[in-house]
Amino acid sequence: MISEDEIKQIMTVYLKVSQENLTNEMVLTDLVAESFVLIEMLMSLQDELGIIINQEDIQHVSTVGDLVNVFLEKGSTQ
Amino acid sequence: MNDKDNEDWILSFYRFSEITGALFFGRLARVLPPSEIQRDMTKHFADESMHAWYWTRALDELGKKPVHIGDAYQDQYLESVGIPTNIMEILAITNVFECRVIAQYAMHNRVPDLNPVITSTFDTIMTDEKWHIQWIGDALKTLEPKFGKEHIDATLDRYRKADKEIYGKIIVEHEERIEHILDVKKKNSSGETSD
Repeated sequence: MISEDEIKQIMTVYLKVSQENLTNEMVLTDLVAESFVLIEMLMSLQDELGIIINQEDIQHVSTVGDLVNVFLEKGSTQ
Repeated sequence: MNDKDNEDWILSFYRFSEITGALFFGRLARVLPPSEIQRDMTKHFADESMHAWYWTRALDELGKKPVHIGDAYQDQYLESVGIPTNIMEILAITNVFECRVIAQYAMHNRVPDLNPVITSTFDTIMTDEKWHIQWIGDALKTLEPKFGKEHIDATLDRYRKADKEIYGKIIVEHEERIEHILDVKKKNSSGETSD
């Protein structure tokens, strides 16, 4: 079972904010200099957590909390 | 805008697009885990870099300088379809894009009285582009057990539809600049030869 902290720990490697300052309300695109960093982060999250996501899963994702929820939900079914 | 300006722009557009591709695949090659996909992605990145050089060299040999291009074709892909989330989606979007590149280069290469510097550049690049389609197709096959063939096919279809829209928009936006290339297509589809 993966935890919110585990997901955020991986995310902070790619985002311009430390884990202690990372809040669920923060908008992901505000935390990266360019969209490729998001691609790198998504690939790393899937690789390290052993979870596969696709574009449909992140269609309505805009904040840190949205993305964490996607991985938590996917993690409970895969 | 005269023919010389149009040619400067389109060759610069190709150059810029190859640079954008090289940077994208280079970064991917850096983060992918060791695998055949990582190996071929690295070769792909190296090819795109060389293509950028070939266009730069062609412009130089023609006595031209690269003109500023705001957005690469790939940027419009990401805007239109959103960011790919996994390696299958990245390869699928790349496959569709490479098919578009081959079609565009082949069409341009049929323009009558093209400078030999340009035709030889197309010929050199096209050999690599065909391999790109091949390795990506093979890689997508190896991903079928993980992602499902139906899902991969549906993803490819979705990107093909987006590509058609993006290319249509580019034609409308830059019609004047690429009119002479589009004429080749019109003549071919009406049964005329371009000679």
